[in-house]
Amino acid sequence: MKFRAKIVDAACLNHFTRVSNMIAKLARTCTLRISPEKLNFILWDRQPSGGASTWCELEQENFFSEFQMEGVSAENNVIYLELTSENLSRALKTAQNARTLKIKLTNKHFPCLTVSIELLSVSNSSRIVTHDIPIKVIPRKLWKDLQEPSVPDADVSIYLPVLKTMKSVLEKMKNISNHLVIEANLNGELNLKVETELVCVTTHFRDLGNPPLASDDASLDRDPAEMVAVLVDIRKLLPFLAGQQVNPTKALCNVVAGRMVHLDVLHEDVSLQCFIPALALA
Amino acid sequence: MLKCGMSGIFGKAIQALSRVSEELWLDPSEKGLALRSINSSSSAYGYVLFSSVFFEHYQWSTLENVNDNDRSLYLNCKLGMKSILPIFRCLNSFERNVEKCTIFTTSDKCKVVIQFFCRYGIKKTHTVCFQESRPVQVNFEKNMCCNTLMIQPRLLAEAMVLFSSNQEEVTLAVSSLNLCLKSSRGESAGLTNSVYSEMIIGPDEFDLFQVGLDTEITFCCKELKGMLTFSEATHVPVSIHFDFPGKPVAVSIVDMLLEANFILSTLADDPGGAHSPPLLCLSQARRRSHRRRLDSKAGVGGAAQAPECISRKAAPKRLCPPGTPAKNSNSKDWAAEHGGCPQLKRANLDDIREASKSCASGAEDDRGSFSLRKFSSMFFGAVSSDQREHLTCPSESLATASDSDID
Repeated sequence: MKFRAKIVDAACLNHFTRVSNMIAKLARTCTLRISPEKLNFILWDRQPSGGASTWCELEQENFFSEFQMEGVSAENNVIYLELTSENLSRALKTAQNARTLKIKLTNKHFPCLTVSIELLSVSNSSRIVTHDIPIKVIPRKLWKDLQEPSVPDADVSIYLPVLKTMKSVLEKMKNISNHLVIEANLNGELNLKVETELVCVTTHFRDLGNPPLASDDASLDRDPAEMVAVLVDIRKLLPFLAGQQVNPTKALCNVVAGRMVHLDVLHEDVSLQCFIPALALA
Repeated sequence: MLKCGMSGIFGKAIQALSRVSEELWLDPSEKGLALRSINSSSSAYGYVLFSSVFFEHYQWSTLENVNDNDRSLYLNCKLGMKSILPIFRCLNSFERNVEKCTIFTTSDKCKVVIQFFCRYGIKKTHTVCFQESRPVQVNFEKNMCCNTLMIQPRLLAEAMVLFSSNQEEVTLAVSSLNLCLKSSRGESAGLTNSVYSEMIIGPDEFDLFQVGLDTEITFCCKELKGMLTFSEATHVPVSIHFDFPGKPVAVSIVDMLLEANFILSTLADDPGGAHSPPLLCLSQARRRSHRRRLDSKAGVGGAAQAPECISRKAAPKRLCPPGTPAKNSNSKDWAAEHGGCPQLKRANLDDIREASKSCASGAEDDRGSFSLRKFSSMFFGAVSSDQREHLTCPSESLATASDSDID
């Protein structure tokens, strides 16, 4: 198994650092999937009740000037690694004004992802910074859990409002209850609702717009004003919103009534999808 | 009296020393005011000397009567970091608000009074009780070290950022080619989750790069980080002096106005695997046991206008004027146990311990001749009539007040 990649462009480096920061905010451990064309960060919340999972994908050629990998075997030309997300983001943070950044898979005492940074300092001499991030190679038998989740057939697809607004609303709602009802319709209306015995609070977002429908008969039959709802845990949704540091290029929400909500966010060329299952009603 | 800009630096020195230990010795002398701190395991020692020119007005005077014992007559003032650190805590506002700062001690009271004269006529007075304790002094011949590096503090701080806050130790490996700052292997070998980081710095980034011995030393970075913050405030380059592993490393800054030395013990190259840094095995000078003679200055002679004096306490009861209850439990406890010199926690500072014992034994002898004993008087701050006025005003006392506190 081999992997080596190099970033020389400052903008690419910053973008990659931002992605890594976002992942670090979402979960403590993440899986890095390396394939010839893509790099994926996979966050899999292994909970028996069904946890949220996040799938982040980026095209390697948008970031790396050099990219070479060799997977486990010719047929399975992929590498799955598990690492602590914060280790990577912290290592990348030191690369702010780097001339070059190299990442490679090494085995010094234990398997590591070695991040090697060439910094240009004030006195025009370069400093070399190396971080050896310990990783675990994930055996092939566990790969099946780490495949890209299929995008569900949504009942309603709607564009999300400004994420920062949504996040601040949800943060306050969390104090009332953890059970959040997400309702959306094809008229560009989204409602977020929390309810207790004493109080019911709903935030209404209007004029959000809906992406063009795929030619699907079931969707066409739906009354545009009809709300489709799903009950989820706020605590699974908030970290996802908190991790978005900049406004995404595109943010979409797909609601599958009573089953799950699928958030699809695109940051320039990095796609981040979050699949949150519905809470099982008692 | 400290100029306003300087209060910030003074405060930063205290903050840096607070990383070393919970106790601070205030040690004024003719040269200036020294702040000293040593940690409980004797593996780190901090010393900052503010020369007399650092202060707008600095006065330290002693009055000495002929006496036949060999006592040093310095202010043996030990403050708790918890008391003094909050006073200098809000440093950012210092630059803007504080115009003047005076520090002086009051006679017979074992108190240090720190006053801030701020904008809009606001005056803040802090009174801190101190314990009498002979300051520890560590002598380390840093100029005798094989390796000396001098670097701008900002550059070193950039390197230290690499190391996450949960990494306690850092290794400095130097060769004639470069310096390598890396996380200590000892820690990460066992834990498979910590990142091993390394930064290689070339010699041209240093103001001085003198390597006589290719070596690798490991020490705690907590105190180093404190020192770096302080040195960044002073804009003076940091010098690092070291030798082989096991011998302490000295991190110092030297300037016309101040001199700071942080001496940290390093991990010895012990194949047995020493896990804790060895205690400072340095020659520790006995605290100025020789008598100092100072000609009595005019200012000290006249009692009416005399700068405030501290009498050298011979007997524990004398801490408080007779007839008053003990000020606080601290002084009472140690006074009861040790007769004048408080217990010292460190196990291996044998020299100091002997000194304290002699102090204690001497104290008994002297009880009778207390009134004849030499006074050591110290203050720095303006000598003016204002001062007495401040004294007569009730000042906030952090210790349990006793009625006869105020003269």
